[in-house]
Amino acid sequence: MTSRCILQTTLLLYFSTMALAMSNDLLRSQLSSSSLECQELLLQLNGTTEYCLKDRINFEIPEEIEKSRQFQKEDIILITHEMFQKIFDIFRRNISRTGWNETTVENLLVKLHWQKEHLEIILEDVKEKENFTWDNRTLLHLKKYYLRIVQYLKAKEYSICAWTIVQAEICRNFFFLNILTDYLQN
Amino acid sequence: MVWNQNASLIRPQNLYLVVCISFVFSVSSAFPDLSDKFCTFKVTFRNFRLILSWELKNYSVVPDRYTFQYTAIRPNQVKIVEHCSNTTASSCDLTDVWEVLPETYTFRVDGFRGNTTLVQCSSNLFLVTHMSLEPPEFDIVGFTDHINVLVKFPPVIPKILGGGVLEFYLSLIIEEQSGNIVKKHNPKLNETITGNFTYVIDKLLPNTNYCVSVYFNPRNLGEVHRSPVKCILLQPGQETESSESAKIGGIITMFVIAAVIVITIIILKRVGYICLKNHFPKVLNFYNFSTWVFPEMPPLETVAFVEVIHVNRKKKVWDYNYDDESDSNDDTAAPQTNAGGYTMHGLVGRLLGPASASSATPEDCMEPDSEEPDPSEPDTDIDTEPLVPSGPSPGQSEGTSGAYECRGKQLQDPITEEDSWSTGGSGDKITFNVNLSSVFMRVLDDDSEVPPGLPSFPEETYNLQESHSLETSLLAASGERTQPLFPTPSAECQWPEDVLSDESDSSKSDVDIGDGYIMR
Repeated sequence: MTSRCILQTTLLLYFSTMALAMSNDLLRSQLSSSSLECQELLLQLNGTTEYCLKDRINFEIPEEIEKSRQFQKEDIILITHEMFQKIFDIFRRNISRTGWNETTVENLLVKLHWQKEHLEIILEDVKEKENFTWDNRTLLHLKKYYLRIVQYLKAKEYSICAWTIVQAEICRNFFFLNILTDYLQN
Repeated sequence: MVWNQNASLIRPQNLYLVVCISFVFSVSSAFPDLSDKFCTFKVTFRNFRLILSWELKNYSVVPDRYTFQYTAIRPNQVKIVEHCSNTTASSCDLTDVWEVLPETYTFRVDGFRGNTTLVQCSSNLFLVTHMSLEPPEFDIVGFTDHINVLVKFPPVIPKILGGGVLEFYLSLIIEEQSGNIVKKHNPKLNETITGNFTYVIDKLLPNTNYCVSVYFNPRNLGEVHRSPVKCILLQPGQETESSESAKIGGIITMFVIAAVIVITIIILKRVGYICLKNHFPKVLNFYNFSTWVFPEMPPLETVAFVEVIHVNRKKKVWDYNYDDESDSNDDTAAPQTNAGGYTMHGLVGRLLGPASASSATPEDCMEPDSEEPDPSEPDTDIDTEPLVPSGPSPGQSEGTSGAYECRGKQLQDPITEEDSWSTGGSGDKITFNVNLSSVFMRVLDDDSEVPPGLPSFPEETYNLQESHSLETSLLAASGERTQPLFPTPSAECQWPEDVLSDESDSSKSDVDIGDGYIMR
């Protein structure tokens, strides 16, 4: 009886590990695909920076994101969720002066929203099952970073040059997102 | 912002040019509003060098020199690339000039002829998504069973690929093709790679032609640029050793795989995750398929028409006369068939009437000694006995037969003549077994002593000794219908009136109770 329980437990752990590894790969490929699609939609929005050099600003993305520091899996999920959430909030603001294609913007918002919701579900599971210490410092830096972007848009009154500068900055965000999701494989 | 005040000059010689240009556009804080409709720009990563090239569109006058300048989206000065100032080439090597891969760059190309500015082209791009990755240079060296692929890397990795970008952004693919089989190898790269990078493609077949090509797999899902294919024919190796080792390895591998599969199944079965029982529904049971498709013909049944009638027999008393008149019981009646096709066998006994049938019991029928003499034949002792028809018909189960012995004449049955009769007898004694569960017993009507179609048997003598062998088990073996079918020698053994039937028309081959037959 005991040997049978041990055997069943061993088999359960083995297949759970396999399933977990497969789920990590699945999440990684799915996140990578989402960020690439969002990046392509963003680049479809017309914007030329050569006329907006005077509106350039350094938003100072957190160094731990820019330097691609290696995070744990739970931190990666938390950070990517925060980034999708904040990018979604930014592009919901006033874009009337940009002359951008509304359908393209709508598609971008749909993808951002879907990815955000998906990550929220995973986060809930992580919070319930594991007693994990979150990297709140990185999360705080991220919040401040996106707050600077929003304040910049408000200050520039959502001008086309302001949106062009923000568009270029968000493109960088997706590049760093791709690097972060790559760490899920490891 | 007036860009000319913040512009950094690479060389003093270009100061005058920059000042002139910037003066023209000083009112504007941005680049001049000359569109890039005159030029097409392209950024390629070739041999680990970042090259920006441009091409004029249908421009009749071609400039003799160009000047390239750029700035990044993050606050930065407009920079003029020194080695791209007054260049006659329509491209500019920006390796180690553009140092950040995830960046949006704004740039401009000015074309001059003499002192005249002929064209100004400007644009901006996000480098990550617009950079075209061209394949690196490589060489291959073939051996007996492996190929060394030598990929040429620079001694120093460009700064644009630093900071972990190389591992993420550059995904090197080495394709190996032999015939129609293509295999892809993805060696891991890191920033510590210096000089040439050697990758070994092993486990190849000797004396086989292989073609190799390399390329970078772009992370932005852009276009893949493959290198030209390089092919090589591997050297023939020592076939005996390699083939034997390959065979042994293959056999061992197959055994290991089979063992793993079997062990896995056994473990899962023991644990209870799988159940290897066959619960096929009955309709899928094809064990008796042949029987199902070709059902066995029902055994030929020989339906024997049996009538049990009382036969008044004379008790033979030897009067010390040696005449042959009394020896008349040796005659064997020929088998007769009635119109219904039934064949009679043996002797038949006829019942006296219905009144006594209900109270008749097999035991009574078994006691010929207690019989009362028939008043119609005062000279004879009435001995009746239940007579039985033929012996076992083909196909009938003998296990269910209530065998009993009876003495009487046996009629020849043309159908079952060749069958094995379990009969025995000597002289005038005939013994045969009948499977009562497979025969039909007909109850005769009272009106006729002999059923029509039946032969009238002469009075016969029989041996009383064996008459006791008539057993009640006959009725027991017959099943649920326990009406006494066999006539009794006594008057009590009477058939019920409703059972009797004087219909001798046995043309109805289908037996039913209505014809007087009682099916066992």
